[in-house]
Amino acid sequence: MKPRFNIDIKAYDALLEGLNQQYFVEKRGDQSDFRLYFDDLWLADTAVIDDVHRSRGAWAVDLIFASIHNPLKFIRRHITLHSCPKRAAQQGEFMRRVAAKDQRGTLSVSIRSLQICKN
Amino acid sequence: MYNTKIKILNASVRLFNENGIDSVRLQQIADESEMSVGNLAYHYKSKDVLIEAVYERVFDEFNEIFRHYLKRPDLADFDIQISIYYTFFSRNRFYLSEFFKANNSTAPHYLQWQDCTAKMLLQLRSRLQFMVRKNELLPEKEPGQYELLAEQIWMSLVFFIPKSNMIGQHYDEISYKKNIWNLLRPYFGPDGLEEFRALIVPVLF
Repeated sequence: MKPRFNIDIKAYDALLEGLNQQYFVEKRGDQSDFRLYFDDLWLADTAVIDDVHRSRGAWAVDLIFASIHNPLKFIRRHITLHSCPKRAAQQGEFMRRVAAKDQRGTLSVSIRSLQICKN
Repeated sequence: MYNTKIKILNASVRLFNENGIDSVRLQQIADESEMSVGNLAYHYKSKDVLIEAVYERVFDEFNEIFRHYLKRPDLADFDIQISIYYTFFSRNRFYLSEFFKANNSTAPHYLQWQDCTAKMLLQLRSRLQFMVRKNELLPEKEPGQYELLAEQIWMSLVFFIPKSNMIGQHYDEISYKKNIWNLLRPYFGPDGLEEFRALIVPVLF
């Protein structure tokens, strides 16, 4: 007989407890939960930052859209993969210019906006 | 799995239920499956391999039942799970004869059975706790009361069919389910009783 996966009995007990719990803790969602999908006006005032990094043996290009008013409000989107770092950087630059509201880069975020306390 | 293999496994389970695993020969299984012994041996090299395949399917079915835990928060959810338990235990009656053999502790499926039955008991306990929390069952009068009840329900789920066979009593799904609900009935609170009357009584009683 092929070996079977057997969950530890204590872990299974905790799992059942969690299943029981969900009927008392979890609540139905409402329309406001979907605000993320239709409330996208803030994307008009975002700084677009291109990020090239290594991923799965290639160079990945990501674009980060960070609100200029509150940089902690941002989304990251994966754009493409390249085997050559220079081409990836070039692609990132092009995509950033296409996506940004102002190609000149007037919309930007500053580290000061994060209001980090150094104490 | 191929249709022929399913056919062989179904025939094996039917014969194991009627005669016990030890007294069934491959020839009988081949006759029951309407094929030659040679063809049977092509799919399963020996009786041991066939038994392993039967047990593998039995444990798959057993584990499948556990997935039906608390899909809905009402009593009908437990009723559905009892129905599935009935189907499983009535279809695989041969397990008991194997389980109560004098020296079966070395059998590879022995631990699997233990694991499955431990899970089953744990689920029943957990379900009773859920019912108490949902005010369907009255709070415990004495500590450990519902643990004992869970064990009683477990015994009824597992041994109701062999018990009925032993005393020559007719059984069906309705009597199996009634037996379980009758164990739970005295512990229902007002909310639970109302739900029981609305969902379970019209179907079973």
